Amino acid sequence: MTMNLSHFEAAFLFSLFTSVVMGIVTKSTDRERLQYGAYVFVCFMVALFGIGWAMQLGHG
Amino acid sequence: MAKENEEKAKQPMPSIGAWAPAVALGWLIPGGGHLLLKRTGRGVLLGVAITGMFVCGLLMRGAMFQPQSGDLLTTLINTGGFIGDVCSGILYLLTSWLGYAQPDLAGAVHDYGTKFLVTAGLLNVLAMVDVFEIAAGRKD
Repeated sequence: MTMNLSHFEAAFLFSLFTSVVMGIVTKSTDRERLQYGAYVFVCFMVALFGIGWAMQLGHG
Repeated sequence: MAKENEEKAKQPMPSIGAWAPAVALGWLIPGGGHLLLKRTGRGVLLGVAITGMFVCGLLMRGAMFQPQSGDLLTTLINTGGFIGDVCSGILYLLTSWLGYAQPDLAGAVHDYGTKFLVTAGLLNVLAMVDVFEIAAGRKD
């Protein structure tokens, strides 16, 4: 059994798992954890699309 | 904030018996240290996230690093990667013992898989640091 993911799917999964852990270990209340986890995930997504478009435009 | 950090740094080191079992269990079973300290919700979430990342890495046929010596970059990448893999605890041990460790293959998906495997270990290190802080009474 193998997984054949696209770049986006792999980066999305990576962002999701990492955000969960970052949210849990860095903050001290559940509300802060949820907010920080969501913030980290959004940052990953912005970087993913931003860098993706930068490469697309830079490639010509 | 800086003052708060200074105060935390000044706190005495807790006895090894207070944190070592929880940290060791946290290494062996991702999220296990939190479960031992009765942080069930956080422990389950950490376990699911770290194990999920590791299993995805395996299913993408990511490679396990082996320590290698040679030039500085080769040593750094392979030894660092090996340490990252080992930090996944029982996930790494089972993968090695049961023969699921795969050779390095060319391809973007396999490359992602290798990074997933190492990152799962590094996330487990963060979880172990969190367990230490909870066991030492520095964090709830």
